Amino acid sequence: MNRTPRASALAATVALLVAAACSGGGDDVPVDGEGAGSGGTFVAAISAQPDQLDPHQTTAYASFQVLENVYDTLVVPDPDDLTFEPSLATDWETSEDGLTWTFTLRDDVTFHDGSEFDSADVVYTFRRIIDEELQNAYRFATVEDIRAPDATTVEFVLSEPTPNLLDHVGSYKGVAILPEGAAEELDLATEANGTGPFQLEGMSADSITLTAFDDYWGEGPGVDEVRFRFISEPTTALTALQTGEVHWTDNVPAQRVEELQGSGDVTVETVPSVDYWYMAVNFAKPPFDQAEVREAIALALDREAIADAAQFGLARVNQTAIPEESFWYHDYAPYERDVDAARDLLAEAGVEDLTMGLMVTDEYPETVEVAQVIAANLEEVGITVDIQTEQFSTWLDRQGAGDFDAFLLGWLGNLDPYGYYHSQHVCEGENNYQGYCDPETDELLERAATEADEDARKELYDEAAERIVDANSYIYLYNPSVVQAWTDEVSGYELRPDRAINLETVTLS
Amino acid sequence: MTRYLLRRVGQSVVVLFGVSVAVFSIIHLVPGDPVRLALGTRFDQRTYDALVARAGLDDPVLVQYVNWLGNALTGDLGVSFRSGRPVTELILERLPATLSLAFGAIVVALLIAVPLGLVSALRPRSAVDYVATFVSQAGISIPDFWLAIVAILVFSLTLGWLPSSGYVGLTEDPVEWARHLVLPAVVVGTVSGAVLTRFVRSSALEALGEDYTRTARAKGLPRRVVIGRHVLRNALVPVVTVTGIQLAYLLSGVVIVEVVFAWQGLGQLALQAVETRDYPLLQGAVLLFAVFFLVVNLVVDLLYAVVDPRIAR
Repeated sequence: MNRTPRASALAATVALLVAAACSGGGDDVPVDGEGAGSGGTFVAAISAQPDQLDPHQTTAYASFQVLENVYDTLVVPDPDDLTFEPSLATDWETSEDGLTWTFTLRDDVTFHDGSEFDSADVVYTFRRIIDEELQNAYRFATVEDIRAPDATTVEFVLSEPTPNLLDHVGSYKGVAILPEGAAEELDLATEANGTGPFQLEGMSADSITLTAFDDYWGEGPGVDEVRFRFISEPTTALTALQTGEVHWTDNVPAQRVEELQGSGDVTVETVPSVDYWYMAVNFAKPPFDQAEVREAIALALDREAIADAAQFGLARVNQTAIPEESFWYHDYAPYERDVDAARDLLAEAGVEDLTMGLMVTDEYPETVEVAQVIAANLEEVGITVDIQTEQFSTWLDRQGAGDFDAFLLGWLGNLDPYGYYHSQHVCEGENNYQGYCDPETDELLERAATEADEDARKELYDEAAERIVDANSYIYLYNPSVVQAWTDEVSGYELRPDRAINLETVTLS
Repeated sequence: MTRYLLRRVGQSVVVLFGVSVAVFSIIHLVPGDPVRLALGTRFDQRTYDALVARAGLDDPVLVQYVNWLGNALTGDLGVSFRSGRPVTELILERLPATLSLAFGAIVVALLIAVPLGLVSALRPRSAVDYVATFVSQAGISIPDFWLAIVAILVFSLTLGWLPSSGYVGLTEDPVEWARHLVLPAVVVGTVSGAVLTRFVRSSALEALGEDYTRTARAKGLPRRVVIGRHVLRNALVPVVTVTGIQLAYLLSGVVIVEVVFAWQGLGQLALQAVETRDYPLLQGAVLLFAVFFLVVNLVVDLLYAVVDPRIAR
């Protein structure tokens, strides 16, 4: 999944500047009478304005923070172990040959406009994504047909077994279920008609307001109204939290976590996320085509220092992509910093006076921070790093054109190993910008993509991951943490590793 | 006067046309593919092609420009790539916040600049003058984002007098509108006021040295009248020009202060348009800024006539 959280280098700098000046305390300013009593208005400060509210078209994380509470999917990730649990579908089964998936739907669900939810809505939703080639169409490449034998049954007919179909139909609200005909009847960029706990009330340049949906099929919601305010400057968001103008924010710089936890006026929690950050070098550019050179780079890195630079002790070093908490985690960490071994490898490869361009972007300030550490590390083994900070648009153009020696970036929001490994590492993968191509890895990844048995599938991915790490197709660096803060008035909120902001169970005191 | 106005409006149309050509050329020359950017990191060729076609980016640039111009002439500025919403709607949504801040800040700036500049001109090299010079120098030098954050920390977090951020519509709740406006307007107004103070001081000093001032004094007019009618009025001509430029600049958005105060104005909108390479939105925003400058300049020219009757003739 490709969400793009907004963050600005300016914001980070400002946050650093005033980190010390801001000691909390002060008088609480109540939120204009809101928030008192049961129900109330929950005010959340998110760091960007959603670009639009069509769940199938937006790629902005800010949009999904809102949409999470408006729409539902067939299945949802369980916040604890990130396996899939029922939502609009109560039950599902796979045919013997793995080519037909049958979902049984809830029969007690209504959309916000009062119309009933049934299988036709599901067919409409996925047909829209596939036929209009919207951004999640790639998830349904193996889907040949979607049928609705009756009102509460939907069948997915597949061209080959797709064991991760649940991930494709439920990992996030980018595959949210719309009512039949919604795209024709509504302007989905600004209007919504979902089945979620809250319905869209209004939007302005300043905020988006949702109100509780009385006929919601699940539990809750526990508040009458939710207001998302857009505050991109972290100092401002935290001040608004401390004065009580907002109840919750995820705009918390990592360097302020300790201080805020100590201050006692707000709750700050962190949880390891499913995201990972990595460096990739260009296999098409000598000398990076040589395995020894890539290994030398991998051996030169001080991964703890890199993780610290990225998130002040909140990021966790990982030499593969998938974090420890996941079922799909594979404990494999072959590299330990060894400057001499790295130098020897470079000598062996006949490489001297190597200068490596490292492309980073201020869209993700942590890449800029991490690049400094990497530059210092590689300097020690005799590689000069030329840090190239680009605007994200230029960065993406250069990545697409193969115009780079090396780059730093992250993948956000993946849950299934297919998302973590496939298109990044198969020879013809659409996101294989580094140009890694190994027939054996290819075969492992292709087999894993259709292997129905979960344990067998994990073994295939473990093996593929080891080959990827050994060849340094990606040089994996760390998994960051999710950081969020809220006031004492908030209860029932749960931090999630996939960064979904689910306010269904939240209440205010 | 009517002929003068018509000529000015005619010139403005030519300028706007020139601006639109320039903007269109520049944004297509700047590297950065808006569709690739919209897709983010997860790339898929078929989705990419579908999006390019939907945004009309597969047409030659000249065709795109002619299409855009044709629609713009009928008042349709197109649809933003990123949000799928009409550009006019996105701009109108943010116009009140920008107008509030720009005019609020100009009022603050004038309240600072006129008295301070005048007093220091009347007593040059006095203690008051040095203090005024120091204050305006400081106002120019202090970064506005720093001032903004300090203001939030002091007046919102510590004293709890004012809200830290956000905008409330004037029609929604006038009191809250004012409360939310105070901090950003004072921060922006202080910086503009510092610039203006120096103009007021120097043009007042100049007017004080003019023959007519000496004559007015010599014929025994009270000091109040000399300063009010002769010095101030003449000193205002250049000040009006600079105030106009400042206002037009503020109307095109004060991005950094807007970001710090979560003030959803046109500056942030234009910045987002640049960052996401949202061509229609950027085009619309820049065109609007050009209109602001033209209108403000026109108003300034008309004001000259009021301040200095010789110009109206």
